[in-house]
Amino acid sequence: MAEDTAQGPGRVLVAVYAVFALAAGARAAVQLAVQFDEAPLAYLLSALAAVVYLAATVGLARGGRGGRRTAVVACSVELLGVLVVGTLSVVDTAAFPDDTVWSGYGRGYGFIPLVLPVLGLLWLRHQAEEAAEQG
Amino acid sequence: MSTPLVVAISVVAVVLAALGALSTALRRRIGTAHLVTTALLELLLVAQAVVATVALVGGHRPAELATFLAYLVSVVLLPVAGLLWARTEPTRWAGTVLGVAALAVAVMVWRLLDLWEVTRG
Repeated sequence: MAEDTAQGPGRVLVAVYAVFALAAGARAAVQLAVQFDEAPLAYLLSALAAVVYLAATVGLARGGRGGRRTAVVACSVELLGVLVVGTLSVVDTAAFPDDTVWSGYGRGYGFIPLVLPVLGLLWLRHQAEEAAEQG
Repeated sequence: MSTPLVVAISVVAVVLAALGALSTALRRRIGTAHLVTTALLELLLVAQAVVATVALVGGHRPAELATFLAYLVSVVLLPVAGLLWARTEPTRWAGTVLGVAALAVAVMVWRLLDLWEVTRG
């Protein structure tokens, strides 16, 4: 089946990703439009996070080879982002006066941003194995 | 925004999330209880949106008005999106999908209340 990644538990994952794409997207749009000058770096990262969540959502929802590849890239960038931004926000608080989704390793969002890419990558690996078995 | 309504919305949302988790645990699809609870949640959210709109027209101005409006519109759409998506999932995971939407609603209404109470000047 082409839509494998969006079935069963995968659908739950897509639902969580969609919620985060929505939350991060709304936040970034407002920050960029209204107060871009205050912390350009943090707000641009917010926007990047929103785009990554959207890409992961679409990749997981579409499934198939292409969808899985998109989702793997998005989840990897997301994991990297949450680790790098999380560390930077702890080390250099001046550059991040306003919280982004990834600040403090996603502390403001119950650390879900940290757990989500790991779950996503595990699920994608499982799906890729199933696809390989079916040939 | 009314705090009692926010509390009521949170309670119904948590009940819906629990129902969703239960149907997943019991390996069942979503049923009438889920539909009725989602409808009740949606009704409360629409009531909340009407209360907020009336106050906005009456001159209440949250400091972050754009964020507030974006959240207000999204939160009303969430249960509908969750239910539509859960209905097309033929497995026991449908309940969890609906539960995710319900928990997001519970978090968002409290964030909305925060935004509402901070006003400019």
